[in-house]
Amino acid sequence: MRNLLAFFQRFRIFLVFVLLQIVALSTYVRYSEFARLQALSTISGINSSVMSVRNDVVKHFNLEETNKQLAWENAWLKQQLKLSNYQLKKGFVAIDDTLYNQQYKYIPATAINSTFDKRNNYMTIDIGSNHGIKRGWGVFSSKGVVGIVHTVGKRYSLVKTILSKNINIDVMLDKGGAFGLLKWDGENAKYVQISGISNDMRIKKWSTVSTKGGSGIFPRGIPVGKVVEKRFMEGRPLWDIHLLTAVDFRTVQQVYVVKNIHLDELEQLQDAIPADKEEEDL
Amino acid sequence: MNVIVSNSIRFVLLVLVQVLILNNLEVGAGIYPMLYPLFILLLPIEMATVTLMFVSFFFGLTIDAFSNTFGLHASAAVVFAFFRPLVFKLFAPRDGFEMGEMNAMNLLAVRWFIVSYIVLLFIHHTWFFIIEVFKWNEFLLILQKIILSVPISFGLSLLVRTAFMDKSKKER
Repeated sequence: MRNLLAFFQRFRIFLVFVLLQIVALSTYVRYSEFARLQALSTISGINSSVMSVRNDVVKHFNLEETNKQLAWENAWLKQQLKLSNYQLKKGFVAIDDTLYNQQYKYIPATAINSTFDKRNNYMTIDIGSNHGIKRGWGVFSSKGVVGIVHTVGKRYSLVKTILSKNINIDVMLDKGGAFGLLKWDGENAKYVQISGISNDMRIKKWSTVSTKGGSGIFPRGIPVGKVVEKRFMEGRPLWDIHLLTAVDFRTVQQVYVVKNIHLDELEQLQDAIPADKEEEDL
Repeated sequence: MNVIVSNSIRFVLLVLVQVLILNNLEVGAGIYPMLYPLFILLLPIEMATVTLMFVSFFFGLTIDAFSNTFGLHASAAVVFAFFRPLVFKLFAPRDGFEMGEMNAMNLLAVRWFIVSYIVLLFIHHTWFFIIEVFKWNEFLLILQKIILSVPISFGLSLLVRTAFMDKSKKER
Protein backbone atom coordinates (compact mmCIF):
# COMPACT_ATOMS: atom_id res chain seq x y z
CA MET A 1 0.00 0.00 0.00
CA ARG A 2 2.78 2.38 0.94
CA ASN A 3 4.61 1.50 -2.26
CA LEU A 4 1.50 2.27 -4.24
CA LEU A 5 1.16 5.67 -2.56
CA ALA A 6 4.83 6.34 -3.16
CA PHE A 7 4.34 5.44 -6.80
CA PHE A 8 1.46 7.86 -7.18
CA GLN A 9 3.44 10.52 -5.35
CA ARG A 10 6.41 10.07 -7.64
CA PHE A 11 4.54 10.06 -10.93
CA ARG A 12 1.82 12.45 -9.81
CA ILE A 13 2.59 15.07 -12.45
CA PHE A 14 2.74 12.58 -15.28
CA LEU A 15 -0.47 10.85 -14.14
CA VAL A 16 -2.36 14.15 -14.05
CA PHE A 17 -0.94 14.93 -17.49
CA VAL A 18 -2.17 11.61 -18.89
CA LEU A 19 -5.58 12.03 -17.24
CA LEU A 20 -6.09 15.52 -18.70
CA GLN A 21 -4.94 14.35 -22.13
CA ILE A 22 -7.42 11.46 -22.05
CA VAL A 23 -10.26 13.82 -21.15
CA ALA A 24 -9.29 16.39 -23.80
CA LEU A 25 -8.58 13.96 -26.62
CA SER A 26 -11.61 11.76 -26.02
CA THR A 27 -13.89 14.79 -26.23
CA TYR A 28 -12.03 15.91 -29.35
CA VAL A 29 -12.39 12.55 -31.06
CA ARG A 30 -15.95 11.69 -30.10
CA TYR A 31 -17.67 14.90 -29.10
CA SER A 32 -20.69 14.46 -31.34
CA GLU A 33 -21.84 11.43 -29.34
CA PHE A 34 -22.25 13.35 -26.10
CA ALA A 35 -25.08 15.82 -26.16
CA ARG A 36 -23.72 17.39 -22.99
CA LEU A 37 -20.52 18.45 -24.70
CA GLN A 38 -22.42 20.73 -27.00
CA ALA A 39 -22.10 23.24 -24.18
CA LEU A 40 -18.45 23.39 -25.19
CA SER A 41 -19.05 24.76 -28.66
CA THR A 42 -20.25 27.89 -30.35
CA ILE A 43 -23.85 26.65 -30.39
CA SER A 44 -24.35 27.12 -26.65
CA GLY A 45 -25.46 30.09 -24.55
CA ILE A 46 -22.78 32.65 -23.86
CA ASN A 47 -20.50 31.52 -26.68
CA SER A 48 -23.15 31.87 -29.32
CA SER A 49 -24.07 35.31 -28.02
CA VAL A 50 -20.43 36.42 -28.24
CA MET A 51 -20.25 35.01 -31.77
CA SER A 52 -23.53 36.74 -32.67
CA VAL A 53 -22.09 40.07 -31.54
CA ARG A 54 -18.98 39.37 -33.60
CA ASN A 55 -21.16 38.55 -36.58
CA ASP A 56 -23.17 41.74 -36.09
CA VAL A 57 -19.94 43.66 -36.48
CA VAL A 58 -18.36 41.60 -39.23
CA LYS A 59 -21.40 41.17 -41.45
CA HIS A 60 -21.29 44.83 -42.45
CA PHE A 61 -17.91 44.32 -44.07
CA ASN A 62 -19.50 41.94 -46.54
CA LEU A 63 -22.75 43.79 -47.17
CA GLU A 64 -21.87 44.60 -50.74
CA GLU A 65 -21.01 41.02 -51.58
CA THR A 66 -24.12 39.73 -49.78
CA ASN A 67 -26.32 42.22 -51.61
CA LYS A 68 -24.87 41.12 -54.91
CA GLN A 69 -25.53 37.49 -54.08
CA LEU A 70 -29.11 38.16 -53.03
CA ALA A 71 -29.77 40.27 -56.10
CA TRP A 72 -28.32 37.55 -58.29
CA GLU A 73 -30.55 35.02 -56.61
CA ASN A 74 -33.64 37.23 -56.95
CA ALA A 75 -32.97 37.53 -60.64
CA TRP A 76 -32.63 33.78 -60.92
CA LEU A 77 -35.86 33.18 -59.02
CA LYS A 78 -37.74 35.71 -61.12
CA GLN A 79 -36.73 33.77 -64.19
CA GLN A 80 -38.48 30.76 -62.71
CA LEU A 81 -41.76 32.61 -62.27
CA LYS A 82 -44.59 31.88 -64.63
CA LEU A 83 -44.82 35.64 -65.24
CA SER A 84 -41.49 35.81 -67.00
CA ASN A 85 -42.21 32.85 -69.24
CA TYR A 86 -44.10 33.07 -72.47
CA GLN A 87 -47.25 31.03 -72.25
CA LEU A 88 -47.47 28.68 -75.21
CA LYS A 89 -50.93 27.30 -74.63
CA LYS A 90 -53.35 29.34 -72.66
CA GLY A 91 -55.57 27.51 -70.23
CA PHE A 92 -53.02 24.90 -69.23
CA VAL A 93 -51.63 26.62 -66.20
CA ALA A 94 -52.39 24.44 -63.22
CA ILE A 95 -51.50 25.73 -59.79
CA ASP A 96 -52.53 22.51 -58.10
CA ASP A 97 -49.93 20.39 -59.79
CA THR A 98 -50.70 16.72 -60.09
CA LEU A 99 -47.54 15.73 -61.94
CA TYR A 100 -45.03 17.26 -59.56
CA ASN A 101 -45.10 16.74 -55.85
CA GLN A 102 -42.88 18.75 -53.60
CA GLN A 103 -39.91 16.69 -52.41
CA TYR A 104 -37.47 19.22 -50.97
CA LYS A 105 -38.17 22.10 -48.63
CA TYR A 106 -35.69 24.86 -47.82
CA ILE A 107 -35.18 26.72 -44.58
CA PRO A 108 -33.15 29.94 -44.77
CA ALA A 109 -30.42 30.51 -42.18
CA THR A 110 -27.58 32.89 -41.44
CA ALA A 111 -24.03 31.69 -40.91
CA ILE A 112 -22.77 33.35 -37.74
CA ASN A 113 -19.31 31.79 -37.59
CA SER A 114 -17.28 29.74 -39.99
CA THR A 115 -13.72 28.57 -40.50
CA PHE A 116 -11.87 27.65 -43.66
CA ASP A 117 -8.27 27.09 -42.67
CA LYS A 118 -8.50 24.03 -40.40
CA ARG A 119 -8.30 20.41 -41.49
CA ASN A 120 -12.01 20.00 -40.70
CA ASN A 121 -14.05 23.15 -40.99
CA TYR A 122 -17.36 23.93 -39.35
CA MET A 123 -19.93 26.65 -39.75
CA THR A 124 -22.37 27.76 -37.05
CA ILE A 125 -25.84 28.65 -38.34
CA ASP A 126 -28.59 30.39 -36.39
CA ILE A 127 -31.31 27.76 -36.60
CA GLY A 128 -31.59 24.54 -34.62
CA SER A 129 -33.97 21.89 -33.36
CA ASN A 130 -36.53 24.60 -32.55
CA HIS A 131 -36.84 25.08 -36.29
CA GLY A 132 -36.97 21.37 -36.97
CA ILE A 133 -33.39 20.92 -38.12
CA LYS A 134 -31.97 17.41 -37.89
CA ARG A 135 -28.51 15.94 -38.17
CA GLY A 136 -27.47 14.90 -41.67
CA TRP A 137 -29.45 17.42 -43.66
CA GLY A 138 -27.74 19.25 -46.49
CA VAL A 139 -26.83 22.95 -46.49
CA PHE A 140 -26.21 25.10 -49.55
CA SER A 141 -26.03 28.77 -50.45
CA SER A 142 -27.17 30.57 -53.57
CA LYS A 143 -23.79 29.80 -55.17
CA GLY A 144 -23.50 26.10 -54.36
CA VAL A 145 -23.08 23.31 -51.82
CA VAL A 146 -21.86 24.30 -48.35
CA GLY A 147 -21.97 21.14 -46.22
CA ILE A 148 -23.98 18.82 -44.01
CA VAL A 149 -25.60 19.52 -40.61
CA HIS A 150 -23.39 17.86 -38.03
CA THR A 151 -24.59 18.82 -34.55
CA VAL A 152 -27.94 20.35 -33.65
CA GLY A 153 -28.55 22.62 -30.68
CA LYS A 154 -31.83 24.24 -29.69
CA ARG A 155 -31.30 27.53 -31.46
CA TYR A 156 -28.04 26.95 -33.34
CA SER A 157 -26.48 24.11 -35.30
CA LEU A 158 -23.05 23.19 -36.56
CA VAL A 159 -22.52 22.45 -40.23
CA LYS A 160 -19.56 20.35 -41.37
CA THR A 161 -18.50 22.14 -44.54
CA ILE A 162 -17.15 20.49 -47.69
CA LEU A 163 -13.72 21.61 -46.50
CA SER A 164 -13.48 18.50 -44.33
CA LYS A 165 -11.63 15.23 -44.38
CA ASN A 166 -14.42 12.73 -45.00
CA ILE A 167 -17.35 14.71 -46.28
CA ASN A 168 -18.09 12.24 -49.13
CA ILE A 169 -20.95 14.00 -50.86
CA ASP A 170 -21.85 12.25 -54.12
CA VAL A 171 -21.30 14.56 -57.06
CA MET A 172 -21.40 14.21 -60.84
CA LEU A 173 -20.04 15.92 -63.91
CA ASP A 174 -22.83 17.82 -65.60
CA LYS A 175 -21.58 16.65 -68.98
CA GLY A 176 -21.34 12.89 -69.22
CA GLY A 177 -22.76 12.24 -65.76
CA ALA A 178 -19.76 10.40 -64.34
CA PHE A 179 -20.02 10.45 -60.58
CA GLY A 180 -17.60 10.38 -57.69
CA LEU A 181 -17.19 11.41 -54.06
CA LEU A 182 -16.19 14.85 -52.86
CA LYS A 183 -12.98 15.05 -50.77
CA TRP A 184 -10.70 17.77 -49.48
CA ASP A 185 -6.93 17.49 -49.10
CA GLY A 186 -6.69 20.31 -46.58
CA GLU A 187 -4.33 22.49 -48.56
CA ASN A 188 -6.32 25.31 -50.10
CA ALA A 189 -9.84 26.39 -49.21
CA LYS A 190 -10.54 27.30 -52.82
CA TYR A 191 -9.99 23.82 -54.23
CA VAL A 192 -11.68 20.51 -53.43
CA GLN A 193 -11.13 17.09 -54.98
CA ILE A 194 -13.25 14.32 -56.47
CA SER A 195 -12.26 10.69 -56.26
CA GLY A 196 -13.66 7.68 -58.04
CA ILE A 197 -13.91 8.87 -61.65
CA SER A 198 -12.08 6.45 -63.92
CA ASN A 199 -9.44 7.89 -66.20
CA ASP A 200 -10.96 6.79 -69.47
CA MET A 201 -13.54 9.55 -69.12
CA ARG A 202 -12.80 12.67 -71.14
CA ILE A 203 -13.09 15.72 -68.94
CA LYS A 204 -12.72 19.27 -70.15
CA LYS A 205 -11.28 22.04 -68.03
CA TRP A 206 -13.95 24.39 -66.59
CA SER A 207 -16.68 21.77 -66.99
CA THR A 208 -19.15 22.15 -64.15
CA VAL A 209 -19.78 19.67 -61.35
CA SER A 210 -23.00 19.45 -59.34
CA THR A 211 -24.63 17.22 -56.75
CA LYS A 212 -25.96 13.86 -57.84
CA GLY A 213 -28.77 13.70 -55.31
CA GLY A 214 -28.25 9.98 -54.77
CA SER A 215 -28.36 9.89 -50.99
CA GLY A 216 -31.32 12.23 -50.70
CA ILE A 217 -29.38 14.87 -48.80
CA PHE A 218 -29.22 17.35 -51.66
CA PRO A 219 -31.52 17.72 -54.64
CA ARG A 220 -29.91 16.91 -57.98
CA GLY A 221 -28.03 19.69 -59.70
CA ILE A 222 -26.81 22.03 -56.97
CA PRO A 223 -23.48 23.43 -58.24
CA VAL A 224 -20.31 22.30 -56.48
CA GLY A 225 -17.56 23.81 -58.61
CA LYS A 226 -15.63 23.80 -61.85
CA VAL A 227 -12.84 21.44 -62.91
CA VAL A 228 -9.51 23.26 -62.96
CA GLU A 229 -7.08 20.39 -63.07
CA LYS A 230 -6.98 16.64 -63.59
CA ARG A 231 -4.01 14.46 -62.77
CA PHE A 232 -3.25 10.80 -63.14
CA MET A 233 -3.47 8.97 -59.86
CA GLU A 234 -0.38 6.85 -59.44
CA GLY A 235 -1.08 3.14 -59.68
CA ARG A 236 -4.83 3.44 -60.02
CA PRO A 237 -7.02 3.88 -63.10
CA LEU A 238 -8.64 7.01 -61.68
CA TRP A 239 -8.49 10.74 -62.24
CA ASP A 240 -7.44 12.99 -59.40
CA ILE A 241 -9.72 15.92 -60.20
CA HIS A 242 -9.34 19.35 -58.62
CA LEU A 243 -12.34 21.68 -58.47
CA LEU A 244 -12.60 25.38 -57.87
CA THR A 245 -15.41 25.60 -55.30
CA ALA A 246 -18.53 27.49 -56.31
CA VAL A 247 -18.95 28.85 -52.78
CA ASP A 248 -16.47 31.34 -51.39
CA PHE A 249 -16.28 30.28 -47.74
CA ARG A 250 -14.80 33.61 -46.69
CA THR A 251 -17.94 35.55 -47.55
CA VAL A 252 -20.84 33.09 -47.35
CA GLN A 253 -23.57 34.35 -45.01
CA GLN A 254 -27.00 33.36 -46.28
CA VAL A 255 -27.52 29.61 -46.52
CA TYR A 256 -30.42 27.20 -46.94
CA VAL A 257 -30.98 23.94 -45.12
CA VAL A 258 -32.52 21.18 -47.24
CA LYS A 259 -35.34 19.07 -45.90
CA ASN A 260 -36.09 16.00 -47.96
CA ILE A 261 -39.69 14.99 -47.33
CA HIS A 262 -39.07 11.53 -48.75
CA LEU A 263 -35.98 10.88 -46.66
CA ASP A 264 -37.70 8.47 -44.23
CA GLU A 265 -39.07 6.43 -47.10
CA LEU A 266 -35.68 6.39 -48.80
CA GLU A 267 -33.93 5.26 -45.64
CA GLN A 268 -36.52 2.58 -44.95
CA LEU A 269 -35.99 1.18 -48.42
CA GLN A 270 -32.24 1.25 -48.11
CA ASP A 271 -32.35 -0.40 -44.69
CA ALA A 272 -34.24 -3.26 -46.29
CA ILE A 273 -31.16 -4.15 -48.35
CA PRO A 274 -29.68 -7.24 -46.67
CA ALA A 275 -26.30 -6.70 -45.05
CA ASP A 276 -23.12 -7.94 -46.70
CA LYS A 277 -22.75 -10.70 -44.13
CA GLU A 278 -25.42 -12.86 -45.73
CA GLU A 279 -23.73 -12.62 -49.09
CA GLU A 280 -20.61 -14.12 -47.63
CA ASP A 281 -22.58 -17.13 -46.45
CA LEU A 282 -23.72 -17.94 -49.97
CA MET B 1 -1.06 44.53 -9.09
CA ASN B 2 -2.27 41.33 -7.55
CA VAL B 3 -1.01 38.21 -9.35
CA ILE B 4 -4.49 36.67 -9.58
CA VAL B 5 -6.06 39.85 -10.95
CA SER B 6 -3.35 40.44 -13.55
CA ASN B 7 -3.48 36.82 -14.72
CA SER B 8 -7.29 36.89 -14.93
CA ILE B 9 -7.17 40.02 -17.07
CA ARG B 10 -4.56 38.35 -19.27
CA PHE B 11 -6.80 35.26 -19.49
CA VAL B 12 -9.79 37.22 -20.77
CA LEU B 13 -7.82 39.44 -23.13
CA LEU B 14 -5.82 36.60 -24.70
CA VAL B 15 -8.96 34.49 -25.20
CA LEU B 16 -10.70 37.39 -26.90
CA VAL B 17 -7.73 38.25 -29.11
CA GLN B 18 -7.26 34.61 -30.11
CA VAL B 19 -10.95 33.95 -30.76
CA LEU B 20 -12.12 37.21 -32.27
CA ILE B 21 -9.05 38.24 -34.25
CA LEU B 22 -6.48 35.50 -34.80
CA ASN B 23 -9.00 32.72 -35.54
CA ASN B 24 -10.42 34.84 -38.34
CA LEU B 25 -7.15 35.71 -40.03
CA GLU B 26 -6.64 34.07 -43.36
CA VAL B 27 -2.91 34.06 -43.92
CA GLY B 28 -2.89 31.00 -46.16
CA ALA B 29 -0.32 28.22 -46.58
CA GLY B 30 -1.54 26.56 -43.40
CA ILE B 31 -0.39 29.36 -41.11
CA TYR B 32 -2.36 29.54 -37.88
CA PRO B 33 -0.99 32.11 -35.42
CA MET B 34 -1.57 31.18 -31.79
CA LEU B 35 -0.99 33.84 -29.17
CA TYR B 36 -2.64 32.16 -26.22
CA PRO B 37 0.36 30.02 -25.04
CA LEU B 38 1.78 33.33 -23.78
CA PHE B 39 -0.75 33.16 -20.94
CA ILE B 40 0.58 29.80 -19.75
CA LEU B 41 4.17 30.97 -20.08
CA LEU B 42 3.51 34.06 -17.97
CA LEU B 43 1.75 32.23 -15.12
CA PRO B 44 3.77 32.55 -11.89
CA ILE B 45 6.96 30.54 -12.14
CA GLU B 46 6.57 29.07 -8.65
CA MET B 47 3.20 27.51 -9.54
CA ALA B 48 3.09 23.71 -9.05
CA THR B 49 2.97 21.73 -12.29
CA VAL B 50 -0.31 20.00 -11.43
CA THR B 51 -2.08 23.30 -10.75
CA LEU B 52 -0.49 24.73 -13.86
CA MET B 53 -1.86 21.88 -15.95
CA PHE B 54 -5.38 22.25 -14.56
CA VAL B 55 -5.36 26.00 -15.20
CA SER B 56 -4.07 25.42 -18.74
CA PHE B 57 -6.69 22.75 -19.34
CA PHE B 58 -9.48 25.12 -18.35
CA PHE B 59 -7.91 27.89 -20.41
CA GLY B 60 -7.64 25.65 -23.46
CA LEU B 61 -11.25 24.51 -23.05
CA THR B 62 -12.37 28.14 -23.07
CA ILE B 63 -10.65 28.67 -26.39
CA ASP B 64 -12.07 25.39 -27.70
CA ALA B 65 -15.57 26.51 -26.80
CA PHE B 66 -15.22 29.51 -29.09
CA SER B 67 -13.51 27.84 -32.01
CA ASN B 68 -15.40 24.52 -32.32
CA THR B 69 -12.37 22.37 -31.66
CA PHE B 70 -13.71 20.38 -28.68
CA GLY B 71 -10.58 19.76 -26.62
CA LEU B 72 -7.86 20.21 -29.23
CA HIS B 73 -6.58 23.47 -27.73
CA ALA B 74 -7.04 22.07 -24.21
CA SER B 75 -4.86 19.09 -25.07
CA ALA B 76 -2.13 21.27 -26.59
CA ALA B 77 -2.28 23.70 -23.66
CA VAL B 78 -1.79 20.85 -21.18
CA VAL B 79 1.23 19.68 -23.18
CA PHE B 80 2.63 23.22 -22.98
CA ALA B 81 2.08 23.30 -19.23
CA PHE B 82 3.58 19.85 -18.74
CA PHE B 83 6.80 20.77 -20.54
CA ARG B 84 7.11 24.29 -19.08
CA PRO B 85 8.97 23.38 -15.87
CA LEU B 86 11.14 20.83 -17.72
CA VAL B 87 12.21 23.32 -20.36
CA PHE B 88 12.72 26.08 -17.79
CA LYS B 89 15.02 23.78 -15.87
CA LEU B 90 16.87 22.81 -19.04
CA PHE B 91 17.61 26.37 -20.11
CA ALA B 92 17.98 27.93 -16.68
CA PRO B 93 21.15 29.94 -16.01
CA ARG B 94 23.91 27.76 -14.59
CA ASP B 95 23.58 29.02 -11.04
CA GLY B 96 19.82 28.53 -11.08
CA PHE B 97 17.22 31.24 -11.08
CA GLU B 98 15.62 33.06 -8.21
CA MET B 99 11.95 33.68 -7.84
CA GLY B 100 12.21 37.44 -8.20
CA GLU B 101 14.44 37.34 -11.24
CA MET B 102 11.56 37.17 -13.70
CA ASN B 103 10.36 40.61 -12.73
CA ALA B 104 13.78 42.15 -12.85
CA MET B 105 14.10 41.03 -16.48
CA ASN B 106 17.84 41.40 -16.74
CA LEU B 107 19.50 40.44 -20.00
CA LEU B 108 20.28 36.89 -18.96
CA ALA B 109 16.72 36.27 -17.85
CA VAL B 110 15.32 37.68 -21.08
CA ARG B 111 17.47 35.46 -23.25
CA TRP B 112 16.63 32.40 -21.17
CA PHE B 113 12.96 33.30 -21.35
CA ILE B 114 12.97 33.64 -25.14
CA VAL B 115 14.82 30.38 -25.80
CA SER B 116 12.42 28.50 -23.49
CA TYR B 117 9.43 30.05 -25.20
CA ILE B 118 10.60 29.07 -28.69
CA VAL B 119 11.15 25.47 -27.59
CA LEU B 120 7.79 25.33 -25.80
CA LEU B 121 5.95 26.87 -28.76
CA PHE B 122 7.56 24.34 -31.05
CA ILE B 123 6.39 21.45 -28.82
CA HIS B 124 2.92 22.99 -28.53
CA HIS B 125 2.48 23.58 -32.27
CA THR B 126 3.83 20.14 -33.16
CA TRP B 127 1.35 18.47 -30.83
CA PHE B 128 -1.51 20.69 -31.99
CA PHE B 129 -1.04 20.11 -35.72
CA ILE B 130 -0.33 16.38 -35.38
CA ILE B 131 -3.57 15.88 -33.44
CA GLU B 132 -5.47 18.19 -35.79
CA VAL B 133 -4.42 16.48 -39.02
CA PHE B 134 -3.88 13.00 -37.53
CA LYS B 135 -2.71 11.29 -40.71
CA TRP B 136 0.88 10.28 -41.28
CA ASN B 137 0.64 10.40 -45.03
CA GLU B 138 -0.02 14.11 -44.71
CA PHE B 139 3.25 14.51 -42.84
CA LEU B 140 4.49 17.25 -45.16
CA LEU B 141 1.38 19.31 -44.52
CA ILE B 142 1.93 18.97 -40.76
CA LEU B 143 5.58 19.96 -41.15
CA GLN B 144 4.67 22.95 -43.31
CA LYS B 145 2.07 24.13 -40.81
CA ILE B 146 4.49 23.82 -37.89
CA ILE B 147 7.45 25.48 -39.58
CA LEU B 148 5.42 28.40 -40.87
CA SER B 149 3.23 28.95 -37.79
CA VAL B 150 5.84 28.80 -35.02
CA PRO B 151 7.84 31.92 -36.10
CA ILE B 152 4.65 33.90 -36.62
CA SER B 153 3.19 32.92 -33.25
CA PHE B 154 6.52 33.73 -31.64
CA GLY B 155 6.88 37.11 -33.31
CA LEU B 156 3.35 38.01 -32.42
CA SER B 157 3.87 37.01 -28.78
CA LEU B 158 7.08 39.03 -28.58
CA LEU B 159 5.31 42.05 -30.05
CA VAL B 160 2.38 41.80 -27.66
CA ARG B 161 4.68 41.18 -24.71
CA THR B 162 6.94 44.19 -25.37
CA ALA B 163 4.15 46.49 -26.47
CA PHE B 164 1.50 45.87 -23.84
CA MET B 165 2.80 43.89 -20.90
CA ASP B 166 6.13 45.46 -20.02
CA LYS B 167 4.58 48.71 -18.85
CA SER B 168 2.64 47.10 -16.05
CA LYS B 169 5.83 45.39 -14.92
CA LYS B 170 7.66 48.70 -14.66
CA GLU B 171 4.87 50.29 -12.67
CA ARG B 172 5.02 47.59 -10.07
